[in-house]
Amino acid sequence: MKIRAPKDFWAGLMFIAFGVGFAWVAQNYQMGTSVRMGPAYFPTMLGGILAVIGLWILIQSLIVAGGPVGKFYFRPLILIVLATVLFGVLLKPLGLVLSLAVLVGVGAFGGFEFRWKEVTILYVVLAIFSVLVFVKGLGLPIPVWPGE
Amino acid sequence: MDLLNNLALGFTVALSFQNLLWCFLGVLLGTLVGVLPGIGPVATIAMLLPVTFTLPPVSALIMLAGIYYGAQYGGSTTAILVNLPGESSSVVTALDGYQMARQGRAGPALGMAAIGSFFAGTVSTLVIALFAPPLAEVALKFGPTEYFSLMVLGLIAAVVLAHGSLIKAIAMVILGLLLGLVGTDVNSGVARYSFGISELSDGIGFVTVAMGVFGIAEIMANLQQKDTRDIFVAKIDRLLPSMEDIKKCIPSVLRGTVLGSALGILPGGGALLASFAAYTLEKKSAKPPRNFGKGDIRGVAAPESANNAGAQTSFIPLLTLGIPSNPVMALMIGAMMIQGIAPGPQVMTERPQLFWGMIASMWVGNLMLVILNLPLIGMWIKLLTVPYRLLYPAILVFCAIGVYSVNNASFDIYMMAIFAVLGYVWVKLECEPAPLILGFILGPMMEENLRRAMLLSRGDPSVFFTKPISAVLLGISLVLLLIVLSPSIKKKREEAFQEA
Amino acid sequence: MQRLLSLVVAAAAVALAAPAPAQTYPSKPIRFVVPFPPGGPLDITGRAIAQKLAESWGQPVVVDNRPGAGGGIGAELVAKSPGDGYTLLMGAVSTHAINPSLYAKVPYDPQKDFVPVALVAQVPNILVVNPSLPVHSVKELIDYARAKPGALSFGSGSTGSTGHLAGELFKTMAGVDMVHIPYKGGAPAMQDLLAGQTQLMFDNLANALPQVKAGKLRALAVTTSKRSPAVPDLPTVAESGLPGFDLTTWFGVFVPAGTPPETVAKLNAEIVKALASKDLAERLAAMGTVPPERNTPESFAAFVRAEAAKYAQVVKSSGARVD
Repeated sequence: MKIRAPKDFWAGLMFIAFGVGFAWVAQNYQMGTSVRMGPAYFPTMLGGILAVIGLWILIQSLIVAGGPVGKFYFRPLILIVLATVLFGVLLKPLGLVLSLAVLVGVGAFGGFEFRWKEVTILYVVLAIFSVLVFVKGLGLPIPVWPGE
Repeated sequence: MDLLNNLALGFTVALSFQNLLWCFLGVLLGTLVGVLPGIGPVATIAMLLPVTFTLPPVSALIMLAGIYYGAQYGGSTTAILVNLPGESSSVVTALDGYQMARQGRAGPALGMAAIGSFFAGTVSTLVIALFAPPLAEVALKFGPTEYFSLMVLGLIAAVVLAHGSLIKAIAMVILGLLLGLVGTDVNSGVARYSFGISELSDGIGFVTVAMGVFGIAEIMANLQQKDTRDIFVAKIDRLLPSMEDIKKCIPSVLRGTVLGSALGILPGGGALLASFAAYTLEKKSAKPPRNFGKGDIRGVAAPESANNAGAQTSFIPLLTLGIPSNPVMALMIGAMMIQGIAPGPQVMTERPQLFWGMIASMWVGNLMLVILNLPLIGMWIKLLTVPYRLLYPAILVFCAIGVYSVNNASFDIYMMAIFAVLGYVWVKLECEPAPLILGFILGPMMEENLRRAMLLSRGDPSVFFTKPISAVLLGISLVLLLIVLSPSIKKKREEAFQEA
Repeated sequence: MQRLLSLVVAAAAVALAAPAPAQTYPSKPIRFVVPFPPGGPLDITGRAIAQKLAESWGQPVVVDNRPGAGGGIGAELVAKSPGDGYTLLMGAVSTHAINPSLYAKVPYDPQKDFVPVALVAQVPNILVVNPSLPVHSVKELIDYARAKPGALSFGSGSTGSTGHLAGELFKTMAGVDMVHIPYKGGAPAMQDLLAGQTQLMFDNLANALPQVKAGKLRALAVTTSKRSPAVPDLPTVAESGLPGFDLTTWFGVFVPAGTPPETVAKLNAEIVKALASKDLAERLAAMGTVPPERNTPESFAAFVRAEAAKYAQVVKSSGARVD
């Protein structure tokens, strides 16, 4: 049994996982009847259908040839996600200005061309713009400095 | 003739210096807000409500309305430029618009969006002026059964949105449906898939998913190569659409306008459906050669016309019945109440200046937006020439702040990050996000209406087929399904023949 | 050595002189959490109050919308905030009276975690029916419903809203069987009522009145125990055959427990003043609100306690539940 289409193989597997997952969690809720559907009815049905489609895609991938899974480039993936998450964590305690530094700094690091001077200027511009437009201009309740 | 008199009244109101000023402020602010991801017209209007206390009622409503459709224009701009759909209705614009931007054709894309929107705005203003009350009555005929059938049609259309594997598109639609179900179930009050996290009890926000799957995943995918100079073609083709482009798009704009005007009246998601439906219709009816998904300008013209037409006609239930069709309209009701105007059927007869003044100013606002946006295109193009290594952190910043500002919750930023990862994985597995987003939006509405229809009919499923509108919609769905499936059936048959 | 000593003395002097005089409240921006989406009557009124407070005190009062879980998310946030007077909550009948009985688990204690400051508005609901329904009074409605059990549907803005519970209470007290149809918000519920998909509704006065005036709906009664000044000719449900029937939608300002009483008193005074101002008072009257005779933190607290007890009873007898 050879995987002829890895891309579809993993896609199928993913769909099966999601389908089964959603249907399984849905069992915590009431099913109801098809006449008076409960909160679990729709998700269970959909999860089941998704899993079946996933299975179909999986089987097809064993028979029909297809392309390989696209190459994962981990550096941008991890760093951009890290930058975003760190921003989320640091926003309230540290305020906008400081957490933006982390976001821009780590985010810029996710690319392949990191030049300190450029990044610093970019950061300053973005920080000023963000504070002026979002906090002062639009009045959004975002803390600007630590401890606000 | 009555219509002319009314329109004349409307224009005298709309063209007063004060109202022109407020209209301009509104559309300007709306455009700015639409360009910034996350912060939408809802939040802006809410923040400006206290300002409207001091204004005369007509001016206040004109400004607020300007913000609303200004934001539609602005949202399309970011969708085209950086694949960030600011509003749910711009998701479809991003499909071809962003590809056009990558090819150096951002100018024509933006220009066509503006022109198409203006045309649609003009037509739909006329539609409102002529047919508002009867259209409102039609809208009332849509009950849960009809909505459900409409959603089914919409979902089948969603599958058409995809340009790759049909079966994976169907799977993505269903996955989107499931993700949309996260949150509190309307009919039972149970919080589904929230795992005890209170921020999830009202579901995953559209902005969160869109920013993650479209915006950030796109950044991560673009950063793959060491040399990011080719992300946006440096040589800009032209700043505005050519006459040829415009001519090509005339049927698309017309189709989009009709569809948008029709679907916009339906309270609760009509305008959303308009842009998706227009794109799907376009994909199937545009004259070949077709290039949808790879930068076909008609894939921008049609949904943009549709969503602007829909945005305008969504005022109809508000102005004629006093029922808001979406959260923005609910805010307008709030603004009216602040002014002491009780929104309802009598507004049209008791306050004709308000009613007709607003309608006239919608057209004025559209005009202002075209005049504002066309020159801006040059500026936006310049923006794209900024090296990508400097551009993407800026995009990241706007996404992060934008998503935070929706609920003032860092949790949303984490969710966006999760969806960014998922989006990246889906790109690698060649699973398209657009069908997922449609399923995400339509899913909960479909289920809600299905169960409500069953509740109302006391458990009788035949209702879907006995009610005329519903039956027609389901019939069209079936036909559409057959059209969608038949090419692949034909293909299978051809393969079978070849092997025989 | 000399130098070190004088340094120490200087430091001690500074340290002792340091405690700044207690700054008058408020000395920095105030955060006003509104646990509902922007645009509803609660949010709009909140913003108006925030503006008045800001004008009066010269400090920004920023509205922070935290919708979700029937108001629970915003309420939880404020419950966990420090009681220093810089975080306010626009609580409502849902957050402080209904949810604790309706939901199996609520992440805050409505009595212990909050100090009620002032009642902002009490809005009655009115019982409206689609004109196609051949009833012109509550009594006729009850007779009709008894003759056709399970035939009538009533909509509401959400499970657990006052519109929902009013219907349930009606069913229990009148002994009739009607089916509850929940919607996502008052607007879609109203739409289906106008279209005749549902037959009746206990909607809030502000939303329903324009439709009644336009003849699209027929009003039968108000849900409060006293008639509303906005519709003085409309009887109450209580006087129409179900004595004891009393339900309002109310909302008011709360602060976290532990807020100093002087701060609470100061807030109360300023809020009451804002409510009495011309434009706010007009708007509240248009909503059909009945101003209370006394509006002190204590009277509000007593009111909240009474409401919580009442709804515990209503929810239990109706059997409504949310997991």
